[in-house]
Amino acid sequence: MINFQYLRADTQKKAIDALAKDASAQFIAGGTNLVDLMKKGVTSPQRIVDITHLPLKQIEKVPGYTRIGSLALNSEVAEHELIKNNHPLLSLALQAGASPQLRNMATVGGNIMQRTRCTYFYDTEMPCNKRIPGSGCGALQGYNRMHAIFGASDKCIAVHPSDMCVALVALDAKVLVSGPKGNRRIEFEDFHRLPGNDAAKDNVLQQGELITGIEIPDHPFTKNIHYLKIRDRASYAFALISVAATLDIQNNVIQDVRLAMGGVAHKPWRLPAAEEFLKGKKVSEEIFREAAKIAMNGSKAYEHNAFKLKMAPAAIIESLKIAAKLD
Amino acid sequence: MENKLKEPFMPPIDRVDGKLKVTGAAKYSAEYNIPQMAYGVMVGSSIAKGIILSMDTKAAENAPGVLGVITPFNIEKPAGYNIETSGNISATKKGFNVFDDKLIRFSGQPIAIVMADSYERALHAATLIKVNYKKDSFQTNLEKAIPVVKPLEGNAFKDYTRGDVNAWKTAPVKIEAEYNIPIEVHNPMELHAITVHWETPDKVLVYEKTQSLMDTQEKIMELFGLKKENVHIITKFIGGAFGSAFNVWPHAVAALIGAKQINKPLKVVLSRDQMFMNVGYRPQSIQKISIGAQPDGKITGINHEAISMTASYQEFTEGIVNVSRMLYDIPNVFTRYKIYPMDLSLPTWMRGPGETTGAYALECAIDELAHALKMDPLKLRLLNYSDTDLEKQRPYSSKYLKEAFEIGSEKIGWNDRHPEPRSMPEGDWLAGYGMGSGVFIGWRGGAQVGARFTADGKLLLQSAVTDMGPGTATAMTKLAAETFGISPDKIVFEMGDSSLPPGIMQGGSGTTSSLGTTVNNATLSLKKKLFELVKNKAVFHTETIHDVKFEDVVFENGQMMLSSDHTRKMSYSDILESAGLDNIEFIEETKGFNNVDYSTYAYAAHFVKVLVHPATGVIKMEKIVSAVDGGTIVNDKTARSQIIGGVVGGIGMALMEEGVVDNRYGRWVNNNFADYHVPVNADVPHIEALFVNKPDPILNPMGSKGIGEVAMVGFAAAVANAVFHATGKRIRALPITPDKII
Amino acid sequence: MDKKVTTPIHSSARRNFLKQSSAMVALALAPPTILKAGDKKVEDQIAGYFEKVPVKLEINGKAHALSIEPRVTLLDLLREQLHLTGTKKGCDHGQCGACTVHINGKRVNACLTLAVMQGGNKITTIEGLANGDELHPMQEAFIKHDGFQCGYCTPGQIMSAVACVKEGHAESDDDIREYMSGNICRCGCYTNIVDAIKDAKKGGKSL
Repeated sequence: MINFQYLRADTQKKAIDALAKDASAQFIAGGTNLVDLMKKGVTSPQRIVDITHLPLKQIEKVPGYTRIGSLALNSEVAEHELIKNNHPLLSLALQAGASPQLRNMATVGGNIMQRTRCTYFYDTEMPCNKRIPGSGCGALQGYNRMHAIFGASDKCIAVHPSDMCVALVALDAKVLVSGPKGNRRIEFEDFHRLPGNDAAKDNVLQQGELITGIEIPDHPFTKNIHYLKIRDRASYAFALISVAATLDIQNNVIQDVRLAMGGVAHKPWRLPAAEEFLKGKKVSEEIFREAAKIAMNGSKAYEHNAFKLKMAPAAIIESLKIAAKLD
Repeated sequence: MENKLKEPFMPPIDRVDGKLKVTGAAKYSAEYNIPQMAYGVMVGSSIAKGIILSMDTKAAENAPGVLGVITPFNIEKPAGYNIETSGNISATKKGFNVFDDKLIRFSGQPIAIVMADSYERALHAATLIKVNYKKDSFQTNLEKAIPVVKPLEGNAFKDYTRGDVNAWKTAPVKIEAEYNIPIEVHNPMELHAITVHWETPDKVLVYEKTQSLMDTQEKIMELFGLKKENVHIITKFIGGAFGSAFNVWPHAVAALIGAKQINKPLKVVLSRDQMFMNVGYRPQSIQKISIGAQPDGKITGINHEAISMTASYQEFTEGIVNVSRMLYDIPNVFTRYKIYPMDLSLPTWMRGPGETTGAYALECAIDELAHALKMDPLKLRLLNYSDTDLEKQRPYSSKYLKEAFEIGSEKIGWNDRHPEPRSMPEGDWLAGYGMGSGVFIGWRGGAQVGARFTADGKLLLQSAVTDMGPGTATAMTKLAAETFGISPDKIVFEMGDSSLPPGIMQGGSGTTSSLGTTVNNATLSLKKKLFELVKNKAVFHTETIHDVKFEDVVFENGQMMLSSDHTRKMSYSDILESAGLDNIEFIEETKGFNNVDYSTYAYAAHFVKVLVHPATGVIKMEKIVSAVDGGTIVNDKTARSQIIGGVVGGIGMALMEEGVVDNRYGRWVNNNFADYHVPVNADVPHIEALFVNKPDPILNPMGSKGIGEVAMVGFAAAVANAVFHATGKRIRALPITPDKII
Repeated sequence: MDKKVTTPIHSSARRNFLKQSSAMVALALAPPTILKAGDKKVEDQIAGYFEKVPVKLEINGKAHALSIEPRVTLLDLLREQLHLTGTKKGCDHGQCGACTVHINGKRVNACLTLAVMQGGNKITTIEGLANGDELHPMQEAFIKHDGFQCGYCTPGQIMSAVACVKEGHAESDDDIREYMSGNICRCGCYTNIVDAIKDAKKGGKSL
């Protein structure tokens, strides 16, 4: 690791200024992803701006929303009464991610910003368009068992590794951003991007912009929820497939539903067509099967991840069944 | 063989080094602070095969704090590099010396060591080296190598035949199947590390992670032309190894050379990714098994063929197919073992080497045969139980596998299961039971132990052995306490230092057998010496006994007493005092045991219950019972831990461990703990470890046979068989990950 | 020993920051004692001096005023500079838990923690868990239940276990297993670790 300059930001403005002026600078909070990437030489910022002393740790209810500061720790959010009661899907997703120690370090903002765990991205001797644009995608013809089945391009087939983000995209969260040009509020769905021709860019954030928090609009999804994560071991592993499912059921009829998947795309993958299909239908395994089929439209597998085409719909059905307490 | 352990045994003891381990005070090889110590970082090749044309090391050398950079271009080769080996030696026996030439043999091969005054500076400077290669084509894919690469030749690869090789083919019931096991990596928690301090140009102190102090010492003596007394190896603690710490690996040699060159103490710690390509692994294997049986279940013939791999530059062999020659009573046996040289680093022994691989295939095949026969797999095993070693044509010194089957099957409720596959749903899950047997050779090597008993009643024992975790010092302490008749807290077992009397390597499940025999003999000698000092004392003489013999006394609670009259006694301390001695000190040496009249094996009977979720492919280990015939168990508490540890290794092998190389680059793609999965706590249910605990009458005075390896051998088969029972799906390629279930 | 360093070291400027404009400021501010000669060693010392930043933190109840490079992780600071080697390096990437310490009472992975960011924080390592010679109940329980073999992951397991109980995540066996899954034990002592944690929790002594 190169020896970088360390700056501690005591105000939001100073933090943003520091990055706006210097393309080689990066924010650090929990460090669980950035320090890892720096150790591997994937990124080598010359200046690190420590934002952990900014007052962005609150978890609070405001009319119409729950607002979570970007520096709130993953563990704090997961265990917070407000979140457990109002957004249990988020609690479940957070607890499915990483380890207790990492959740004590990782922040909400950092979790959103975390980069893919694609092995070709991590190994600086391998080609990777995300790391070195134009060098090629190592995974495309390589070991792509963990890789995308939706929305990939031949430039990049990596997946976004977060569990938290799968819940947030399902819950229609907004990302609150502050930057040199002022503040903006980005729909979660629009925050992460698909690789297209520019695999290097994970999201729509501009240089110098800082995530200050997220807002989750009030919703009725507190009873019928499930976050299903299928992985190679029982805990502390990235998802092969994960599914966030939550239903608003009245008299056995689905009033509303949210579905999103992890481990399948360059971004947390919302399933709008399947949701639309389910709305107004009576709860049954049959319609869940139908929804899963719809959800898989447009999926495409590679040499080592064809199993996901089978596992993903199975996971959707299973997660919906558990959420609907259909067993 | 006097001095046998007597029942009732002394209760198990806690680890003697437990306090050091739970307080962080136990020191591993990277944890010695020597003033002026420098840090070395290894640089690995980015290509799999070829030649280094040039290296630009200027930026690294000029980086702050850098003390030196050694590459094949500037190495001052140690004398041992130049020793001529015989002209006929094959390429695959030569091995390679680090930085000795500019050839690249595998991706990640060490090509430089960068040394600096701080760890961070060394690490950064190591990234500044630029290398210009000429690439050659290479082969890292075993399946693709088979048709085009020539397998190695030699005695290790001779076919074994007993009876009629075609017997299985003509049997009324037969099965044929192929089993695949990918590369598995030891991945001990401690990173391999070495700290080198050249005290003078021809005297070196080395803190090295090694399972064999003596071999490491000898290798370093050879390399640098040093005298034995000038090569001092210290290995007080090893953070796990499982076979990875026998060799003096390239990074260790680089550290020795580097420290000499910069004339400073030097520490080199491998990174986790380097651990995948520098300290060995269990090689990939493809095994084909064919078995034929009579309708009543009697097996008539077996054919077991294994294909595996080694490095292009060195031969590594293990006894994968041996298990099929002796585990069952089969008259007709054919085995074949071939290995292919690959452009990968050298594989090495990994827990239950050979047997773990072979037993996976054999024990799955037996299960397949049981299914074909519509017979209980346990019954089939009992029907073909071997009472003598048909391969070596001699009896077993002891075999209590039947007893292990009995207690294991009883504990898991084997007979309560429904035998039909996919017949035991539990909600959305499918339950399944499976079993597998394990076997591993019991042996005894020679070892020396220094003993000093002092007048204050304390016994110091010393031996140059190391402990990677099983608890050698604890077992030896308990053994000495039991045989010498003093409290374990009066005993110190000192180890981990090459200057102590030469012990034995730790590995192959032979440490307790070998070292224990010497400790046992040492306490016997000690008792005899005490006896000699006082045999004429009046206290031991009665009206009927005037000439007390050694056989007439017992040694208990620090007292020598007359067997017939325990009131006639004298404490060990008083014996020394009355003889005017401060202590008794001697070195006990026991030669290795050449077991010619008997075959000795330890056995395991693994039983598991799994739950499989057929829709998502998730597998849960629900219940595990492993019953082991390891002879007498010296210290139950630590022995139990060894069994559960082997089982957890087996869970990893069965369900998740797979080393993956991208064959386009010959480069590892999952060389880290996030992508190479080993079991975590949530993968492991309560494990029941049971012991038959009956002494082996031949191998050693304790009656022990060794347990470290057998704990893992056959376990993965039990899981695969349980998955079959649960789902009706036979998955023969490990690991059984969720994608293979759906 | 008169073996020399393999390649001659050039005395040309070699520091990024010396090339930058701040170099002159750096030289001007450097204490005179390190400005005696123009060889590499002195430049390294200058470089080292200016690349370090002051940090005050409390480790196991003891205040430390340190000067460290920003790139130094808490793990390497503990092990290499403070010689508190009880905290272990198993992967260096947050994938094994061997480096688990408590920062302000919370369990974290020291390997992904930059030491420079910990100013003002209270750090507890395995060396600070026992009360003098009296072992912490969790340490005692690990010995009693043989919750380890090689001992290398043990400090991390114990630090994690203490936090696990305090967090309220040791309410059932499955709970313990899930919340102890951030600590890999390759010797496979999980069964005994779960037993040790249950016992320590049941013991009711202050954890």
